Amino acid sequence: MPSNKPSDKKSTLKPATLDATPALSDAEVLQTFKDPNTIQAYRDLYDALGRAYWEASDIKDKDTIQGIRDHIYEILTDLNIEKLQANTELFFALKSKIEDNNDALGDIKKKIAKITKNLSTVASVISAISKVLSLAPSLL
Amino acid sequence: MRHRQSLPALLGVSLFLLAGCSLSPLARNTASFSSAASLVVDNTQNAYRTAVRLNEEAQASLLVARFDSAQPMDPHSIRPLIDDKGLKTRTEVLNGLQAYAQTIADLSNGVSSPKLDEAAAACGANLKSLGDALATSTSIGINVSATEANAASTAFKALGDFLVNRQVRSSVPKVIHEMAPHIEALANLLSSDITTLRDQSGRDYEQLLAQQDSFIRHAGSSLSATERRAEIERLPRILARKQATDDMLGELQTSVRKLAETHHALAVSATSKDSLSLQARIADLRASAEGLATFYQSLSASSDK
Repeated sequence: MPSNKPSDKKSTLKPATLDATPALSDAEVLQTFKDPNTIQAYRDLYDALGRAYWEASDIKDKDTIQGIRDHIYEILTDLNIEKLQANTELFFALKSKIEDNNDALGDIKKKIAKITKNLSTVASVISAISKVLSLAPSLL
Repeated sequence: MRHRQSLPALLGVSLFLLAGCSLSPLARNTASFSSAASLVVDNTQNAYRTAVRLNEEAQASLLVARFDSAQPMDPHSIRPLIDDKGLKTRTEVLNGLQAYAQTIADLSNGVSSPKLDEAAAACGANLKSLGDALATSTSIGINVSATEANAASTAFKALGDFLVNRQVRSSVPKVIHEMAPHIEALANLLSSDITTLRDQSGRDYEQLLAQQDSFIRHAGSSLSATERRAEIERLPRILARKQATDDMLGELQTSVRKLAETHHALAVSATSKDSLSLQARIADLRASAEGLATFYQSLSASSDK
């Protein structure tokens, strides 16, 4: 599939800013993107540009709109990756708790195996007595 | 002699009934829960795989679109939606959930009974051998008939079942109860993941759709009429996949919520004897999970790759 877009640049988490706007620090940028309203505003913008893309009849207009949309797509994708990574840490913490419970179930299994073993021992004791009796009847 | 024969059999029947009757609801409920949980776990793992693959597809499409631009995209900059560590951790947690559900079902249903059966059968047979040995070696005259040996085996098995069931009944409900908050936390986490996957997959499909449209328009006359027709026909199929994936993830989110509710009901039922509402929840969960499994198959079949 040939390339079909104007020049584009891989986005970062930083939103597009006008030259006159003071640059935000990374911490400020991250804080901005933690705001659900900001994220929703970007989602709405992405959707609005999508509608504009399909309404545009000129291929150059479509390319321009999609170029901006691609940037927003990347920003929102990065945010989702961050969210999923944060969840990974929570999953990791939960894993040990589930393992602890499964260990407790393992202990119950062991206790049950011990009951079975004890009963098996009774059977083998009876068997051993029978063997002794059959081998040495004169002892009795 | 008749008295001697009937006593062990009576004892066996009594113990068997004692052991069996009180445990059956727990056994039935944990088995049903395990089966439904297994379906939810499989569906969730499929959902992760589907979402990660879809995102890779969307990123690859963007890479192609920018390939000949002044600043093409560096393939190294592509990040997986969920990295290997993330997928591994989630898989381990889901496997832990599956192991938990399977183990409580196994314990409640007495998976160890083959060993117990073997020991009980050996006990009866050995008792008979002991009687035979005593009869030939001494003047005591003990003779254990095959019927008596079988009765002894049955009683022995009943005793074993009773002891095992007592162990299960006294400890498994406690573990189920302790697991409840972790299942709740897990359901919340999975639900959070699924919300993110739904959000992402919607845009991934939108990207695929726009890139496909752009490709057709830029290709112009370099595509034959037949090729052009085939490429245009892909557009509605992408939209259909988008809708199907969103429906599937929505259903999965519902299933995960039902799993937590069902486990909560199981924890309550394990300590009380009212399992009617639990049975309804399990049937609901199972139906939802089975519907999803069918959905995945149809989704894979109609995949537009």
